[in-house]
Amino acid sequence: MRPLYVSRTACITRQSVSVNGKELPVSSGDGRFLAAVYRTLGIDYPKFFKMDNLSKLGFLASELLLREDRPRFVPREDCAVICFNRSASLDADTLYQATIGPGEDYFPSPSLFVYTLPNIVTAEIAIRNKLYGETSFYICEAFSAHQLFTTVSHAFADSSIRSALAGWTEYGNEVCEAFLMQIETFPPPETALPFSVEFLTRIKNKL
Amino acid sequence: MGKSSFLRRMEEKNGLAMIVWAGDNIISSLGFTTEENYRAVWSGQSGIRLCDAYRGIPEPFYASQIDRKQLGDRFAALGKRPAGYTPLEQAAILSVAQAADQARTDLSAPDVVFILSTTKGNVHLLDEGERADSPRLYLWHTARLIADYFHNANEPVVVSNACISGACAQIAAMRALASGDYTYAVVIGVDMLSRFIISGFQSLKALAPAPCRPFDAGRQGLNLGEAASTLIYRRAAGEEHPHTVSLVQGAIRNDANHISGPSRTGEGCYLAIRASLEACAADDLAFVCAHGTATAYNDRMEAIALTRAGLNRTPVNSLKGYFGHTLGAAGVLESIISIHALTDETALPTCGFRQGETDYPLHIAERRLRTEKPYCLKILSGFGGCNASLLFKKQKKTDETIVC
Amino acid sequence: MTCTMDELILKLKKEIIDVLNLEDITPEDITDDAPLFGEGLGLDSIDALELIVLMEKNYGIKLKDPSQGRELFRSIRVMADYIQANRTK
Repeated sequence: MRPLYVSRTACITRQSVSVNGKELPVSSGDGRFLAAVYRTLGIDYPKFFKMDNLSKLGFLASELLLREDRPRFVPREDCAVICFNRSASLDADTLYQATIGPGEDYFPSPSLFVYTLPNIVTAEIAIRNKLYGETSFYICEAFSAHQLFTTVSHAFADSSIRSALAGWTEYGNEVCEAFLMQIETFPPPETALPFSVEFLTRIKNKL
Repeated sequence: MGKSSFLRRMEEKNGLAMIVWAGDNIISSLGFTTEENYRAVWSGQSGIRLCDAYRGIPEPFYASQIDRKQLGDRFAALGKRPAGYTPLEQAAILSVAQAADQARTDLSAPDVVFILSTTKGNVHLLDEGERADSPRLYLWHTARLIADYFHNANEPVVVSNACISGACAQIAAMRALASGDYTYAVVIGVDMLSRFIISGFQSLKALAPAPCRPFDAGRQGLNLGEAASTLIYRRAAGEEHPHTVSLVQGAIRNDANHISGPSRTGEGCYLAIRASLEACAADDLAFVCAHGTATAYNDRMEAIALTRAGLNRTPVNSLKGYFGHTLGAAGVLESIISIHALTDETALPTCGFRQGETDYPLHIAERRLRTEKPYCLKILSGFGGCNASLLFKKQKKTDETIVC
Repeated sequence: MTCTMDELILKLKKEIIDVLNLEDITPEDITDDAPLFGEGLGLDSIDALELIVLMEKNYGIKLKDPSQGRELFRSIRVMADYIQANRTK
């Protein structure tokens, strides 16, 4: 197997937002944290506000990674999007569940229902960036450096895949944390790090 | 031809390997064994029925459901009290137990990995007032519970990739085995009906007011279905040449178009098919088992993708008319039926199909077709614009292949 | 339940902005006669289904056929006219 490198990282928690380890100041306006990050980044993508929290979180992490790319939005089949978390789409599930109450309270919401699948976050990233490669979503009890490393490494066995946006995107039960990496096969610039279990373990300890 | 670039690359690292079929099971409305299910499909039976007054859902709908009484009885026969397990957990465990018997494998061994494919797991518990922090609602918990039942200590893998999950789980199995990390992979696909799922599909206006009619010009939507199915794969040394079916290639691609609507050009589906056809000539395909949900958009999208891939003359079927759309179980269940059809030298018919569309004509299998060709292709598409393909190959000596 | 057409149109705009999460759009931004779909608000098929739910939940109007929506959601005014004539709550 070819060695893999992490060329960029993005991290979002309620306490901090950072790119390649550098913190980004976020001014939280009306208390909606993810909307505040969106405003801080100066993104113009109204669809963002239709997304569920998990998709918003993953989308913002991907924007942190890719926003300085020029040109942007170039269609490519060689980039995979692979995310992991603990609670799948449980946050969206409970919101949808509230629309199917008993008796008179039964008005199932189609726009909430479509987000009751965790892989929709990978789709939102793929749609925004025109990524036609593999999109996958895996669930683990907790951030697992070993499973993340093996799953993402194995995805590169697909001969078309040369790059991946991969990481941890968890939203629910008071937790809001995203750690996304851009992983590449080509020899890296000075700043890139080897993609390894050790690297992921260090990240896990920081989350 | 015959070997995917993925397997070639893994061979460079780990030596020759084939990912071969080792055992399977299907639990659905059509029976509790693969044989019962295969025979039912072979003889044209459908498990889809009208469901009226389902847990306070105002509109009736058509769906296929596992017999709960039989499920409980058969689960109890394993020696555990059914009361401690949800119907989904019971079905998954029962399915794995039967597949393991067939594979004659000790699933507690350290070189066995469990891979679970499900879209919604125990989501019905939300309806029963379960709190959102209850472990029972988490998919990793369901997987852990199943693996624990079989005393397997490895961390189970859980794939939740909408309706293509069952294919993704097999691709994950293929990669885990080819990399040499494990010898056996137990792939489990399971989803059960609930108010949550039914109301959601109704809100999307995706359900048909009658039994579904995949690829038919008059199709009106899909039917939902319940299933638990298990496929056990084994890593075999290349020189063994086992007389069985192997999984040679698999690919996942995205439409990058819309979260719920399929691409108008069938982009992701086409790319996924193209990636699997790297390993086989279109002429060697016995059939394609399509996703064929019978919604207007899905079937048209697949017809476009298959036409683009040059497969408009290859026999195509959809199994949704027998089982309904079994969501996270579909990829596993439909692969099992296809594997058995391949060794049975048969392309199975598409239940509910009468007349095709004229603008993207396909060769939809209307009745059983005899075929000795060695490959079959399984394709799936799902919400989030995801698409997957799996390529299966049977070895030449069919007289010693798996029986069904 | 009784309100003037102008009141209903304003109420409807607020409801649509809310239910479809049209951030940064105010009722003044939505022209009464402009098409709701296609260019403009950037609505899609899921939004159309959500508007069907809105009609039922807020006004007691059940559309028998989802394709009816295409006709009804041509503009806010068309929607409001239909609601005024058919509302049951």
